This record gives sequence, C-alpha cells and structure tokens, in this order.
Amino acid sequence: MKSPDELFVQSRNAMGTVFTIYLYAHDGELAGVLFESAFEEIERLEEALSNYRATSELSRINRLAAEQAVTTDPEVFALLQTSLAYSRRSAGAFDVTVGPLMQAWGFFRGEGRYPTDAELERARESVGSEKIYLDRATRTVRFAAPGVELDLGAIGKGYAVDRAVKVLREAGVKAALVDAGSSTLYAMNAPPGKSAWTVHVPRPGDRSQTVSTVALRNESLSTSGSYEQFFQLDGRRYCHVMDPRDGVPVQGVLQATLIAPDGTTTDAFSNAMFVMGPEAGSKLLATVSGARGLWILGEPESQRLVQWQWQDCAGVGDGDAQTLVTKREKGKEQIAR
Amino acid sequence: MNRREFIGRAAAAGGALLLAENGESRPKAPSDQINLGIIGPGSRGQQLMRTFLRVPGVRFAGLCDVYEPRFAAAREITKENTPIYHDYRELLAARDLDAVIVSTPLSLHSQHEIAVLESGRHVYGEKSLALTVEECYSIVDAVKRTGKHFQVGLQYHYAPWYRETLRRIQVGKIGRVTQVYAYWHRNNSWRRPVPNGSDKKLERLINWRLYKEYSGGLVAELGSHHINFANEVFGSMPEMVVGSGGIDFWKDGRETQDNVQVTYRYPSGQTLVFSAITTNQLDGAQVRVYGTDGSAVLTESDAIFYYEPKRPQSAVAQQTIVEHGIVTGASYRSEMPYRGPGESVSVPKDKQGSPDYVACASFIDSIRRNQRPEADEQVALAAGMAVALGNQAIDQGKRIVFSEHSRQT
Repeated sequence: MKSPDELFVQSRNAMGTVFTIYLYAHDGELAGVLFESAFEEIERLEEALSNYRATSELSRINRLAAEQAVTTDPEVFALLQTSLAYSRRSAGAFDVTVGPLMQAWGFFRGEGRYPTDAELERARESVGSEKIYLDRATRTVRFAAPGVELDLGAIGKGYAVDRAVKVLREAGVKAALVDAGSSTLYAMNAPPGKSAWTVHVPRPGDRSQTVSTVALRNESLSTSGSYEQFFQLDGRRYCHVMDPRDGVPVQGVLQATLIAPDGTTTDAFSNAMFVMGPEAGSKLLATVSGARGLWILGEPESQRLVQWQWQDCAGVGDGDAQTLVTKREKGKEQIAR
Repeated sequence: MNRREFIGRAAAAGGALLLAENGESRPKAPSDQINLGIIGPGSRGQQLMRTFLRVPGVRFAGLCDVYEPRFAAAREITKENTPIYHDYRELLAARDLDAVIVSTPLSLHSQHEIAVLESGRHVYGEKSLALTVEECYSIVDAVKRTGKHFQVGLQYHYAPWYRETLRRIQVGKIGRVTQVYAYWHRNNSWRRPVPNGSDKKLERLINWRLYKEYSGGLVAELGSHHINFANEVFGSMPEMVVGSGGIDFWKDGRETQDNVQVTYRYPSGQTLVFSAITTNQLDGAQVRVYGTDGSAVLTESDAIFYYEPKRPQSAVAQQTIVEHGIVTGASYRSEMPYRGPGESVSVPKDKQGSPDYVACASFIDSIRRNQRPEADEQVALAAGMAVALGNQAIDQGKRIVFSEHSRQT
C-alpha cells in the first residue's frame, strides 16, 4: 500500500523577501524536485521583473523606454497591461511608477525624510501610470518623460506566487501553500484530512496576536502593512506606504488584507486598499470577483477594524468590527485578470 | 582557428553588444519581420522564446515537439495560436520561416540542425554543439555547404561583464594567464518533475539530461559555458584532456555522472580545470582566471578582479633592513587565501544587458545584416569538441589528445 503524503517545506530568498513553499509529497526526493521547479520559476520571474538587477527585462525597459519604444515579451507586456489596468481601476491608488516619490521620501534607503517642495514637484512629474504608453500592436513600452521608471514590487511577488502554484499543479501536487514573505500567499487545495489551510491575520505591531483566522482554499490572501516602518516628523507619524495620488505617505491605516482568487490581484489591490481606505477601497473590491477585505485603522495603540464581505469566510476576533455594506456591483464584477 | 582569429572575433563582439542594447536591430520595414520556428520548446527553449520576443520585429511561426503539453506552454508564451508540428520535417516544410531555434536533447542536435540548414534557414542551436565529435563536424560542414548563419546558445559569450573581463585580460591587467579553474556546483538532483502515471519512456524524455542516449551530462550542459570562456582566454581550443567522474550520490537510475572533474591542457602550456558536483553549492557557478599579476572571478551576474602583491618590495623597506637589521626565527610564510575586497567590473549603461537578450538580439541582427554571428559554428566547434572529448576521457579513463580527433573544416 502506498504510504500517505508527507508535508515538506523549503524557503529561499527571492524578490527582496523570503519565499516559503509548503507542499505534500510522497517522499523527500520528489519534494526536492518539486521545490526546485517551483523556485526555478520564481527565480525566472525575478530575473525578468527585478529592478535591482541590471540584467532584468524590467531594468532594460527602464534604461531605454524614455528614449525609444521598447519591445518586450508577451508575458512582461501582459503584466504591464494588468498593472496599468489596476491603476485605472483603483483611480491611481495602485501605481507602478511610484518609485521617484519613494526615492524623494528616502524610503529606498530604509529611512524617511520630508522632501523639499522642489524634490516633491520633480518626483511628481515622473509619477503616474498615464506616463506609460503601451502599444499592443508592436508590444512596446514607452515612457512619456525621462525619470519615469517602473517598479513592479507591489504586484510581481503575487504574480510569482501564481506562477509557482501553476508549476506545482501541473506537476501533480495535491496540496501546497506558497508564501511570499508572508505578505502574499496562495493556498492550493487543503492538507490531507482538512478542508482548508489556516491563515492568521495578526494584530498590527504584535504578530503573536490574531485578529482574524481565515480558512483558505484555492484562493490567495495578501496583507499590506505599515506598522513595521514608521518615521516621525513634526509630531506626525508617516508610514512607508506612499499614496501616489498626492505624493504623501498614507496616514491612519495600519493594515489591509484582501482575499481573492489569485495572488496578482491580492498583491496589487491589498496595496490599493491600504492607500484608499475602507470607503473607497470597498467600492474597488466590489469590482473583484470573490473579494473580501479587512482593514485595521487608527494608531498602533488604538486600532479599529473595518470589514467588507470578510464575515463570509472568517471570524474577526474582536467581535466589534465595523461592517461596511457596500453592495457588490451586480454586472460590474470583473474577473481578476 | 588560430589565436589571432580568436582575438579578432572577441574584439568585434563589443560592437555587436552596443547595437543589441540600443535596439538598432529593429526592423526598417514590415517585411523585415523575422519569423522563427523552434524545435524542442522545453524549459530552455521556452526561455529562448521569451527572450527572442523581446527583440523588435520577431514572431514565432511554428512550434515543433514530440511531447504534447509543450504546445500549450509555448503558445502561452507567444499568446497566439502559433502553428504546431509533431514532426520537424513538417515544420521545415512551412514557407514563412527565416530561422529555427534547435533546443532539443543534445544527441538530436545534428539531425535537426543539418535539416534546418539544408532547408535554407539560419540556426540558433542550443549548446553544446553535438554529442559526438563527428556530429560536431557534420554541423560545421552543413553551415559551410549551405552558407546559412549558425549561432550557438553559449549566451555568456555575449555577457557584457564577460566581454569587459576578456578585454582587460587581453590588455594584460592580470599578467600572463596560466590557469582557469571553473566550477558549477549545485545541491540538487538535476531532475525535473514528471507527471503522475508517466511511463519510463516519458520520464527519459523529460529527464533526457540524465541519460547517455541523449546527453553529455554535466560537462555538456554546464561545462560548455566555462570551456568556451577558457577557449577565449587562451585563444584556442585545448589539445589534451583527462577526466574523472561517477554516479556516486544520486543512484536513481541515471546514466550521466552526478559529479565530474576534467582537466584540459592548452597549446601554450595553460590549464583549465572544470568541476561540476550536485551535492554542495558553496562555490556555485564561477570561473576563476589566474594570471601572474592578478585574478578575475566571473559569475552569472558579475566579475571581480583581484591583484597579486606587487614584486619587488619597495626601496623604503629595504632601507629599514639595512639600518635596523633583520630578525631571525622559524621559517614562516603565510599562504592564507586572500579574503579582502576586489575590484568590480562595471559595465557602461549602454552596454548593460542580460546574456540571453544580447545573444538573441545579436542573432536577429546577424540575420538582418547578413553578418556572421559572433558565437558561430567555429566557436561552437571548439567548445563542443572539448565537451565530447572531455566525456570520452571520463568514460574511457584515459588521456585524450585532440589532434587525433580533429580535422580541417
């Protein structure tokens, strides 16, 4: 008789974080082969989408697209199309051109400083998805001005999670959890004897406390948070998540968590949810099939929960979460991609 | 090929890089579209497809494989209903092909590539050139006979930091180069997953790298890149090789070695040592070039130079000894490895780019300009023969002399 599958786990550094894959396999040798092919796919995408590696396709586009239309492959082009579509759907709250603003606020160096008006003005001139021209007929990318640059940091990890899941599914894996730095994960099926994978949404600032426990199966969950990186300036607390629309870091939001069918969508739109807040954010989620959202607002010492469709899948520990009643927009629901 | 030809080609590669990255190879007219076919869109073939599609005016006009699931995967890359063929002869009967990528198992290269050349198309052929020396020569002969372009998939030949390192070595930055030590050390089984319920035949097809019927093993699949670079550094192909290797850890039915060590001797008294193992990845993939005045260490993404201590000592130190005398004691001379920083090779912005992209763009450029590719069939032959004879040395447990296997082309 065939022995039951065992759980295996492996972590590797990729895309500026740690990817961890949990999977069930018959033996360690098979698990090794499966890890290798899933991580190879993640590594392939890092080599395409990284903007730290000079050899990546994204770096090539960033180097050349202000001077000429740059042809790229259908996969990268499609991800850029998705990124711009997500920018439009979120009215600019999700924006892959936000890099120059992050730079102006000193976030790339892991610090924070208030930029001068001139610096802010200059950065704003290079930010906005309307400054990216995509030509479908020639599959080319062109920037409207010098200084514009693409940063897929808020969507690439989710896309890599989706692709790794696809590799594992095609290799016949029955149950797996693919996790990109704990901020975006996908639960494929469920562990043997269980109906779902269990995911805990932590209290901002204290990962040992759970505010909600989610049963996740064949869906993705992403969390955007700001509580680990703050800086104080003139008595105000700024986080490291930028609102691309006004060029100022978001205030008053501690964490946003989104459940949706795929990682590309949850990665990008958990970020948009964070920037938009619950009122506008829930209207965005109403356009995403199967989406559920949970916001934690306020300050680390006085937190407030707001949920949208969240109770469909999970309980909220505090019991006193405010529930938004934004209706799903019938007929306006869109497939994620 | 003699040393001067080798160096002349290396110098020309710099120009090709610039063209590729600046997108000069873009089509001048719609009729400039280059239609590519591919035989064997497996994992490497798919990566080549993505990369070729980043070059302006390139389209895939045909996909050929014997394994059905590859078609869906390849069409996902082209994002169109690219015509599919189960037999390469049917692909070659299509009218609208300019060039064909051959990324099939090594033992099939010569059959597929000669057929492509005979059909009047250019070839981008994955490394290594072919499984046997005879097959290597038959491809070279076919290139000559048909007058079509051939580029071998040795993409590091085009890597900007490799080119820059080679230039510095050639102008004497590290003195006289005597040795190249090259490693490709991994810690995995080198297996790919096989769908549940697959039969043995399919398993052999997917994991063809592990079976001698198809594959030259680690020397071919990994060593060929490093051997090619050593050929460039030393300005010729080797003249002799000894080797060892075995199936010592992954005793899972594979036929190609899971660890190999080959030592090549070059005509001017230089040596290349190549090692590939599958049980430890401390050293990763790297090439270490040792010269009398310094060293260069190349990896998949960068290159670093280190310089030897200067000789002779300065006059000031000599004077100190004259005035204060010398202290006697037990003989001691530190031979600790150097662990300090080196000098990174920086590549100018207009010459940056991934090895794959520059290689693919250069191939398309060669077709559009009707110019010989840099990594042409002669470059492929020098590396391919060294691979084939390196494997012979391992398998036969004896020293193999190149001149006994080579002939004029």
